[in-house]
Amino acid sequence: MDLLNQIIRHPVDPDYALVAARGNESDNRRWTLAVLALIIGSLFAVAALQTTRAAPALQLERTELINRVQNAERAQDELQGRVASLSQEIATLRAAALGDDDAARALEERIDALDPVVGNVPVSGPGVLIVVDDSPSATADGRDRVLDIDLQVLANGLWEAGAEAVSINGHRLSSLTAIRSAGDAITVDYRSLTRPYRVEAIGDVRALQARFVESSAGAWWNDLAQNRRMRYEISDVKQLDLAADPGMVLRHAGKATS
Amino acid sequence: MIPLLGLLAGIVLGIVLEPSIPQILQPYLPIAIVAAMDALFGAFRAYLEGTFTDRVFVVSFISNVLIAAMIVYVGDQIGVGSQLATAVVVVLGIRIFTNAAAIRRALFHA
Repeated sequence: MDLLNQIIRHPVDPDYALVAARGNESDNRRWTLAVLALIIGSLFAVAALQTTRAAPALQLERTELINRVQNAERAQDELQGRVASLSQEIATLRAAALGDDDAARALEERIDALDPVVGNVPVSGPGVLIVVDDSPSATADGRDRVLDIDLQVLANGLWEAGAEAVSINGHRLSSLTAIRSAGDAITVDYRSLTRPYRVEAIGDVRALQARFVESSAGAWWNDLAQNRRMRYEISDVKQLDLAADPGMVLRHAGKATS
Repeated sequence: MIPLLGLLAGIVLGIVLEPSIPQILQPYLPIAIVAAMDALFGAFRAYLEGTFTDRVFVVSFISNVLIAAMIVYVGDQIGVGSQLATAVVVVLGIRIFTNAAAIRRALFHA
C-alpha cells in the first residue's frame, strides 16, 4: 500500500519543485515546448485514427469467421443427411444380399436386436431425462462447473443402470463417442454443447431411475448437487426420441461364408 | 497558450498527414499516449502551482514515454506484456486522476 500512497501523494514530477527552487530558468525554450505539444497532438490523432480505421476491418474479420463457421455447419448437416441415406442404402443392400433362408433370418434378427444398442438406428420409447447445469456461482469458482468427467460419469452410470440408448443434448452416445472438454465447452462427438445439459436415456422406466440413483454415478451427482449446488434434475419421461449416432459407419463388410 | 496551440496543430497535422506508425511500434502507441497524458496533466498542475519549467516537462515527457514503452517491450519479451501494460496504465491512471483533481481544485476552488 506504500507504493499506492506514494503515487497518490507525489503525482507531479518532483523535479518541477526542485528546479523552481533553484531559481528562474531563461524562457528561451518555448519552441521545444511547442514541438513537444505538436508531437503529443499528432500522437493522439494518429492513435485515434488507427483505432477507428481498424474497427471495420475487425468487424469484417468477425463476420467472415462467423460465415465460415455457419458454412461448415451447413456442410456438416448435409453430410450427415448423406450418411443417413447411405446407411439406409446399406440396410437395403444387406437385406438383399442376405437372401431369405433360415440363417439369413437369424442374422437379421441379431442385427435388429443389436442396432439400437450400438446406436446405429434412431430409437424411441419411455425413459428418464436428467438435466444438469453449472451452479449459479460457477463464475466465481471453476469447480462449480459441469466438467467432462461429470458427464462421463453420468453416461456410464446410465449404461450401468440398464439404459438401452443415451443421448446428451441430442447427440446419441455409442461405444465410440468421446465426451471431452475443448476450451470452455464440453464436446460430444467433437461437437460442442451449450448449457444446460439434457441427458436422455431410454430403458426400463420402473428400474432405470432407481438403479441410477443407487449407483456410484448417482452418488457422484448427489454430491455435486449438494456440495457444489449444481443443477441436477431427474425425471421419468413417457416418450423419448433419440436420433441415430451419425458417427456410426460401416467400416468392414464381407460375404458370409456359410 | 503555445502548448495549447501546438496540441491543436498536432491533432490537425496527424489527421491531415496520417503518418503510418511502423508495425513494430504499434503496440506501444497507447501506452505512450497514456504516459503523454500523465506528463501533460503533471505539467498543467505544476503550471498552476507556479513551478512549471519547460526543461523538466520535456525531459519528464520523453523519459516517461520511453520508460513506459520499454517496460511493455521487456514484458513482451518475457511473456507478461499485457500485464505490465496494465500495471503502467494503472499507475499512470492514478496519477492522472490525482493531478486532475488538484487541477480542478485550483481552477474552480471546488
